[in-house]
Amino acid sequence: MRSKNSPGVSRRAILQTIAAAPVAATAAPAQTPAKAPYQRKVFNAHQWQTVEALCDLIIPADERSVSASKAGVPEFMDDWLDFRAREEGTDLLTAEILGGLTWLDQESVRLFGKDFAGAAAAQQKQLLDRIAWPAKAAPEDRRWASFFNRFRDLTVSGFFSSQAGVADLPYLGNKAVSEWKGCDPKVWAILEKRLSEQG
Amino acid sequence: MLEAGAWYDQAKQSDMFKWPYNAPHRAAGTRAKPFGYFDATLEGGWEVPGEPYTKARGTEFMWYRARMLGGRTNHYGRISLRMGPYDFKPYSRDGKGFDWPITYDELAPYYDKAEELIGVFGSAEGLENTPDGKFLPPPAPRGYERVIQRACQHLHIPCVPSRLAILTKAHNGRPPCHYCGECGRACAVNANFNSPGVHIMPAMKTGNLEVRTGAMARAVVLGGDGRARGVSYVDKKDRSEQTVYGKVVVLAASCCETARILLNSKSSRAPDGVANSSGLVGRYLMDTVGSSVGGFLPILEDLPPQNEDGVGGMHLYMPWWNYQAQKNGKMPFARGYHIEIGGGRGLPGAGVLSGSERILGGGYGVELKRGLRKIYGANVHFAGRGEMIPNEKSYCEIDPNTVDQWGIPVLRFHFEWSQDEILQAKHMQETFQEIITTAGGKVLYSQGAETNWGISRGGEIIHEVGATRMGDNPKTSVLNSWCQAWDCKNLFVTDAAPFISNADKNPTLTISALGWRTSDYIVDQMKKGDL
Repeated sequence: MRSKNSPGVSRRAILQTIAAAPVAATAAPAQTPAKAPYQRKVFNAHQWQTVEALCDLIIPADERSVSASKAGVPEFMDDWLDFRAREEGTDLLTAEILGGLTWLDQESVRLFGKDFAGAAAAQQKQLLDRIAWPAKAAPEDRRWASFFNRFRDLTVSGFFSSQAGVADLPYLGNKAVSEWKGCDPKVWAILEKRLSEQG
Repeated sequence: MLEAGAWYDQAKQSDMFKWPYNAPHRAAGTRAKPFGYFDATLEGGWEVPGEPYTKARGTEFMWYRARMLGGRTNHYGRISLRMGPYDFKPYSRDGKGFDWPITYDELAPYYDKAEELIGVFGSAEGLENTPDGKFLPPPAPRGYERVIQRACQHLHIPCVPSRLAILTKAHNGRPPCHYCGECGRACAVNANFNSPGVHIMPAMKTGNLEVRTGAMARAVVLGGDGRARGVSYVDKKDRSEQTVYGKVVVLAASCCETARILLNSKSSRAPDGVANSSGLVGRYLMDTVGSSVGGFLPILEDLPPQNEDGVGGMHLYMPWWNYQAQKNGKMPFARGYHIEIGGGRGLPGAGVLSGSERILGGGYGVELKRGLRKIYGANVHFAGRGEMIPNEKSYCEIDPNTVDQWGIPVLRFHFEWSQDEILQAKHMQETFQEIITTAGGKVLYSQGAETNWGISRGGEIIHEVGATRMGDNPKTSVLNSWCQAWDCKNLFVTDAAPFISNADKNPTLTISALGWRTSDYIVDQMKKGDL
């Protein structure tokens, strides 16, 4: 079908053009097929272990998706700290993260005689429970609750922007839609019901 | 046509459909790419390497430049609002600022033409000082937008289909939008307005346009008769000085860059720069007032999956609604703003789901992971875009001490908001928070008196206008009502520099309409032998 406004541009031709585009888009990352192992820029080997343990406590595997470390969050985080320091000309963020990891180890050694990565799961959780809910943190732990907010944000955004994380989310876009219909009537029916309950 | 940047062909260079996880740092913004890795701006941003600008002490000003064919039209928001009758005569209405030398009715036929060429969707609403246009059908609203619209009904704030230069039907040989929501990356199929795909390439097909890229305009060259002979430029390839000659010179370099070219066009005949006998080139620089609030709406939690991308921008917006209250002296500031809304299940990239402790209270583990899935897409945000009244303290001039890498003296900016703008930002903050709480939500970020209610920095909204103002008196304006220099009859300006005021209606559509009107005038004058 041709629009009278657009001689020569049929809907089919347009969709063919659009269909061709993602091929080009996915071709680019394929340039690096055999991925070289990630080279650490910020974390040392021990910090890396701690980061893996901590981000998997934050985002573990479940029925929908893998864990944060399986989705490449430690790599993302290490690269992100290096990137922000270069962009902003300050390593405040790196210092905050490394400082928090150091505190976790010291506190873990003090309480359990083992560093954080080596502590038992129940011991790790005992520590996290002190800092994972900022409103409930004791005054002396508030600084570490701020650190944990930051670390959680890096883990969460690193995970849910990864390929595995995007697939986990109810995100159905970034593709060509032939006809835009607005809010799905079934979803709008739920919203209408909630709106009427809300008053 | 001289272009300071590189050639750009969005059909080949757009990053449409690419995923942030395949980009460095999940496509986060950087100094080199402030709006993210996939943004269409090839080279430029708030800083252009080797092309600095300076600020007077105490001034905060940001100048976004896009060094590429079509400049900022490649990544802009496509918001296409007509200025209304009040907006052309603001001084007559409230005694502040200045009136334009033309009326809405004089420009209306050119708004028609501009909309018909570029393609703008919208709806006829008949709202005060918010003229309807030649619209394509608007896209249906997203779920969160309908929820916000409901809250606005309670508050008696109009919330209507937005007006964006994005095609919802095939138009002038261009295909309709495919609703990937990423217009800022540039559209490979030309379904939104952008200068290269809609203006420049079709013009080149006529055989009458030659484009020279990498050509950094330096100055307008005057002849012995005081008329413009051409433009001198630096060829960026070899840094040589070149000149192009023409019967007519049209500057459309973006507001401040146009002022810079004129001010740098110094000669014994024009000691203060070309077209500057009034001394007003660079003066009365304006930007748009911006302020934002974000919130979380529990009503949007845990909904069945649906694609909320839509067009690259809002499907609904709120035009200014307090014209009568202002006229009756019931508002503490002059001039209005419109509200732009955002939210929904956007493309997950850098920073996605950050700040979740503000909603979930904190936590970790499987419970956190489930909670995050539920709140994804339940945040909304509101951005006000308001009118700034021109003032004496906001202008740009040539910095006497600094040049760019091409040897061209750079601009120094002076900028100050008045209480009218600051109190407008306060009203934005209060209104947006009221909308969020009316929708049953929680305000997540807002601003108070300590930041002047989060008012944007000068230039931050990228709506610089007014540096070569038009008028009906050569002593108080740079250009006449045809955007023709009073001092140099074959010199014209067709960017936002001729603006007399900066209504809350984003400038691009008015630039297009004014530019068309000036072009018709040039043709008419040439036919009459007056140029």
